[in-house]
Parts: sequence; structure tokens; C-alpha cells
Amino acid sequence: MSLLRATGIHAGYGGADILRGAELEVAANEIAVIVGPNGAGKSTLMKAVFGLAAVREGSITFDGSAITNHAPDRLVRGGLSYVPQERNVFASLTVSENLDMGAFTRRDDTTADRERIFSIFPDLADKRRQPAGQLSGGQRQMVAIGRALMVRPRLLMLDEPTAGLSPKFVDQIFERIAAIRDEGVAVLMVEQNARRALHAADRGFVLVNGQTRFADTGDALLRNREVAEAFLGGAGP
Amino acid sequence: MIEIAQLLVFGVVLGGIIALGAVGVSLLFGILRFAHFAHGDMMTLGAYIAFFFAATLGLPLYFAFPIAIVATIAIAVAIDQVLYRRLRRTAPVILLFSSFGMALILRSVVEMIFGPDTVVYDNAIRLPWTVAGLRIKPDHVVILAGTALLVAALHLFLRHTRTGKAMRAMADDPDLARVSGINTERVIVWTWVIGGGLAAAAGMFLALDTRLVPLMGWHILLPVFAAAILGGIGNPYGAILGGLAIGIATELSTLILPPVYKPAVAFLVIVAMLIWRPTGLFAGR
Amino acid sequence: MELPGLLSFLVFFVTFAGLYGVFALGLNVQWGISGQFNLGVHAFWAVGAYTSAILTTEPGGAHLGGFGLPMIAGLAAAMILCALLAVLVGLITVNLRTDYLAIATIGIAEVVRLVLKNEAWLTNGVRGIPGIPRPFAELGGDAPALVFLAIVALALGLVYAALEILRRSPWGRVQRALREDEAAAGAAGKNVTGFRLQSFVLGAAIMGLGGGLYAHFFAFISPEAFDPLITTFVVWVMLIAGGSGNNLGAVVGAFVIWGIWSGSGFLTELLPIEFQTRAGSLRILLIGILLQIILLTRPEGLIPEETAPRRKSGGG
Repeated sequence: MSLLRATGIHAGYGGADILRGAELEVAANEIAVIVGPNGAGKSTLMKAVFGLAAVREGSITFDGSAITNHAPDRLVRGGLSYVPQERNVFASLTVSENLDMGAFTRRDDTTADRERIFSIFPDLADKRRQPAGQLSGGQRQMVAIGRALMVRPRLLMLDEPTAGLSPKFVDQIFERIAAIRDEGVAVLMVEQNARRALHAADRGFVLVNGQTRFADTGDALLRNREVAEAFLGGAGP
Repeated sequence: MIEIAQLLVFGVVLGGIIALGAVGVSLLFGILRFAHFAHGDMMTLGAYIAFFFAATLGLPLYFAFPIAIVATIAIAVAIDQVLYRRLRRTAPVILLFSSFGMALILRSVVEMIFGPDTVVYDNAIRLPWTVAGLRIKPDHVVILAGTALLVAALHLFLRHTRTGKAMRAMADDPDLARVSGINTERVIVWTWVIGGGLAAAAGMFLALDTRLVPLMGWHILLPVFAAAILGGIGNPYGAILGGLAIGIATELSTLILPPVYKPAVAFLVIVAMLIWRPTGLFAGR
Repeated sequence: MELPGLLSFLVFFVTFAGLYGVFALGLNVQWGISGQFNLGVHAFWAVGAYTSAILTTEPGGAHLGGFGLPMIAGLAAAMILCALLAVLVGLITVNLRTDYLAIATIGIAEVVRLVLKNEAWLTNGVRGIPGIPRPFAELGGDAPALVFLAIVALALGLVYAALEILRRSPWGRVQRALREDEAAAGAAGKNVTGFRLQSFVLGAAIMGLGGGLYAHFFAFISPEAFDPLITTFVVWVMLIAGGSGNNLGAVVGAFVIWGIWSGSGFLTELLPIEFQTRAGSLRILLIGILLQIILLTRPEGLIPEETAPRRKSGGG
């Protein structure tokens, strides 16, 4: 049963449409990744789901109900959470406060959740009073993901979570994402690191020129020669 | 030496007034992304509303002040909901110019109702105290205490309340705030509450320190902007420090400049900041 | 010769509206062509007026002056001095984003105002400069007014024609390209700063002309005359109402808003005496409300431009 479904999406930012018939589907408890060459519209697809890019045609449903072009704060209350690629932490707020902001829509006591975040990302535990802007790239990414988890989303959307990170952090992030999935949160990711992402994914979507060209399990896509030739850089996994 | 200390006293009082105005401007600039040109005249409005309750209705000042703050807040929020809110999605210059027009509207309303002449809250002559060779007016103590109280309250609000933190978040990054699910319209209203309330207080303190005249707010707008820019747009704590710095610099400038050129000090600070470090000394955002 | 009252008023009206038209055209060069939000119009207005006044008045004042030069020399000097001031100002402001530029221009105007008010050796301070010569004053009656109307009409016409020619020239095309996409134009090798400075200086020179004409129109100037309200604010309302970005809109806006302003003057004269003293503020209030209505309903003005400018602005 799919949690998130996007079909026939035509969307853009005001000029020509960047997405011309893109589709994806994410089931509960799975990691889905969107990969593709530069300019294919991967980030735009994610933004279209989250109401940050105007969807002109097509429909997006979450848990059965339509969410096309809904405002971000409404989606957050509905169980969707989003981490943008850049500028994804409040630099002048402390780590703790960043997490608080993630929980803004919640009225109940969030201390337990905050501690859980610190257990998922132990590196952050002793930095909770530090302004997020002073952390390293990898630590900032953790704060960003932690912020998005505070609202207890059912689907977590990450836009290139490992961009610009050192290999050590890339490993950590992928590890954490798997743990998040295991705890019951579905994950949708855009990833530049296609091979690595497809390896970790349950399902993958290859976006080319604004359209979904291939949709299959992560492993199947890795083995698919066309996909490999298209842009994985060579044949085979 | 004693002259410098005396100027410092004046400077801190003036600085406190400017700081209260600058905090509002800085938050509005950071969260709403526009320079609120009507802020000075909002200070004028607050001062005159207090004048109405104090001088015309005869209420004691410590009643008139809170009433004026509440009234100014109500007007500030109303202006935003009726006017600025509709202009938010248009080009930013339209909002800028609308606020410039609003400044004139507020000023002309004040002048229409109260006339163009100078007035004061009361004519009682309060002799200054002499403390360690320095002349300190009782009004100065009221202003300093009031400013300190408001700044402390603001700090508690920004650090310990949900809305206060959301306000800092929005000033830091409005897009991320939206994405995080923060109710941006509600935070905006609260920003006007804080901005309007502090402007009213600043106006009343200014009137207490000097006098009431319809152009009083417009004349202090430039120092207020200078302080906000100096402290870093969007950084309320920077704005407070910026205000004190501008106030002290303005008063100390009389050691080398003719006093009539005091207003030029703020302008020089603005030019220096814009050329050298437009993000402010404390890089708010 | 003497004109009947109504005609005499019309001459005054058209002359002053035409004068405002010159300012609106000058501001349009700065705003419409290169998107520079100048809130310090009154500084250039004042500098133009004082320059011409100082150069054309007869000796006798306690201030700098007494050169007794003809009006045309005064006007030329006014334009040159304003251009120089604009170069100085522009070096600071030309690359600032819109809201910072607005603040900076307010500050500069404030400094100019302080200097004009306090350096009495130069400007006679708050007492102002009287006796600024009106051309053909010796003709008597209403003839000088008609002559001045002709002079203003000529000035307005010349400025308008010159700006229209500039608009169609290569210079104008470059400016338009800069406005559309500054990054691309810069990459193409155009000196963005230079072009913006040029348009700022040109606009200021035109304002200087207007200021000089203003001084000769009223024969007396003082720092109070250059209150930002009736100068900067009104000219901006004219530009926005008429249609910012195009010269015809600037002139039309000047006449329309001046008409509304004068009309409001008539209406307030009908008020009972007690309200007369507050009439000025009431008129400003009405113009302010009118501005908000325009911004809410038709910000492109009476004569919209074909393409709206995309300026660097407060978003960062």
C-alpha cells in the first residue's frame, strides 16, 4: 500500500515546466531514492510534492488524500517532513532550538523525542547548546535531519543529504537513514551518489529530462544495463 | 573628563531609546524583509497617544504609558493585516514605498489631531540630581529602568517561548521556517506586536526626555536604522548594542562637531557600515 | 497686462505642474531606467535651487552671493553642481540593494539639509535667500508669469525630448538590458556600476534644473521649502501614479497629482475656520491614502510600461 503517490506531474517555478510527466511511489517502511543526471528535475520533484514548486498538471496523494499544491505547514501537520539541500539549519539557533523548531506544530511535550534524536545522532548530544552555524557540514546535516524527525513524520524527504560531506559522514548518514526506516519512518531521498543510494534503497526512480524513465527496486536498477550506461558510468554494479 | 562622563550618560539614555526602536526595525527587516520606514512615526504615534491619555484625559503617566503601548500595538497589527499583508506578494519596493507613505499618514493624523506645536507630558520642573558630579534627570532613570525592563522581557520572550524562538528562526531563514511547519503568518503578527509595542515605548521615552512634536519620530528614524544595520539585520541583540553605540557616538560627537550636526553621526555610521560591512558588526543573518 | 483670476491661477497651476514634471522625469531616469530608489530628491532640489539663487542674486546679503549672473548661468551651474553631488553620493550608493539605497539617500538628504540650515555664511541659514530674480520682471502685471510658464514648458519639453532620444539610443538599450538581467549584462562585459552611476548623475542634473527653476519661480527660498513631504514624497507619488518607468507617465502623473493636490486645497478652503490650520495635514493624509490605494489596486500607474523591471531588492 503506497504512502505517497505522484502521477503525471508537470511542474516548474514560473517559466517552462521542468517536470513533464514525472511519477513516483513510496510505500510505508521503505527507502525510495530519486536519481538521475543533473538538471533532470530531481529536486524539483521533491519540491513539487512539498508545495514549493507549482504543480500544473498531475496529482499527488499522501495516505490516500490529495495533497497537490498544499502549503508546507499543512503537509507537516499531515505527517510529511522535508530537509532542503542547502540552508537547512537555523545557523543562529542552538542545536536544541533547531530541534524545537522542528516540533513547532506539536503541542505536547517533546523532550523524549529530542533525546531520541540525540541517541540517533550521538555526535550532537554534547553540542546541544552550540549554535548550529558553528558545526561541521556533517553535523549540520544531522541537525537538519533531526529537525525534520521531531514532528514524528510518516515520510521523511531528504534532498541530497550527503552532498559535500566527507566519506566518514556519508557512511554515517546512510546508516542513520536505514535506522530511521527501521523505526517505521518511510524515506524519500534525492541522491547524487546514485550507485550508493540505489544500493541502500528499497525502490528507485530514475529521472531523465523531467520524466520517470525507470522505476524498480534498487537492486534491479543497479543491474539494469541501460540505467548503468545512461549515467552510472559504465556497465554493471 | 567629567564632561565625557556626562555625555556618556546622555548617550546611554538616547541609546536606550534608539535601541528600543532598532529592535523592532531589525526584527521587521529580518522577518518581513522590508525596511519599515513608518517606524519612526509609529514612535510618534505612541508618544502622542500617551499624551492624549495623560494631558488631555488627565491620567497619571504610569497608566497612560501601558495604554498607549497596547493601542499602538493594535494599530500596528491592523495596518499590517489591512495593508502590508496584501502587498507581501508584490515586489518588495512596493512594500517599502507603502511604508514610506504610511509614515506620512501617521504623521499627518497626529498633526491634524494635536496640531504642529511642541507639547510636553507635564510642565512640572523636575530638578536633576547630582550624582558623583554628574547631572542625572529623574526622567533619565525612568527611561533607563524602563528600557532595561523591556529588553529583559524581550530576551525572555525570544529565548524561552515557542513564538519567540520561532521569531528568531524566521529572522534567520524564513524559507526554512516555512518548511519546518512554522505558522509564518502568526509569527508575523507577533513581530508587529513586539515592533509596535517597543516603538511606542521608545516614542514615549523620547517625549519624556525631550518633548512632543509631530516630526519627532521621523528625526530619529535614521539613527534607528543605523543601529539596526550596525547590529546586523535580524539580530535583535545586535540592534540593542547598535542603539547604545549610536546614542553614545551621537552625544560624544559634540566634542568635535557643532551640536547641530549630531544627526549626521548616524548617517556617517550607516555609510561606513554599508561600505565596509553591510552584514553588520555581529552578522545577524 | 492683467489676466482674469481663473486664467492667472491656471498659469500658476500649469507652471508648477510642469516644474514637478521636470523632477518626475529626473527621478524616472534614476528609478525607471536603472531602478535606484532615491528618497533624497529634496537634497538635489535644494542644491539646485540654492546654487542658482546664490549665483544670480545681487550683492547685499550676509551670505555668499552677489554674483548677479543671468538665470541661464544659474541654471547651468545648478545642474553641474547636482551632477557633482550625485557622483559623490553615487559612489556610495550605486551598488546597494534597494532598501539600503533608500536609507542612504535619506541620510544624505538629511546632511544636505543640516548644511543648508546651519551654514549661514553660505545660505543665510533659516532666513533664506530673498530677491531671486525673475526673468522679465520689469514687464509688470502678469507678463512675467506667462514668460516663466513658457520657460518651464520649454525646459520640460527639452528634457522630455532628450530623454526620449536617449531611450531609443544604444545607451538606452544597454540600460534596459542591465535592468532585465544584471548578471548577464555584467558577464557580457558591460560596466554595470558605470552605467548605473551615469543614470543617477543624469537624473540628479535634471533635478538640479528643476530646483533652479523653482528658485526663480518663487523668488525666495529657505530650508523649510525643501521639506521631504512636499518634495520627495509628492514627486514619488506622481511617478508611481503616472506610471514609473516611462517618461510620459512621469509627466502625466505630475499633472494629475498636482491637480488632485490643488483640488484638495480648494476643498479644505471650504472647511470651517477652526480646521483651516490643520488643512495642510489633511491634504497630506489624503495623498497618502491615495498612494496606498494606488499601490493596492494599480501599482503600474496610469500609463504602464510594457515590461516590469526586475530589480535587486530586499530579498537578498
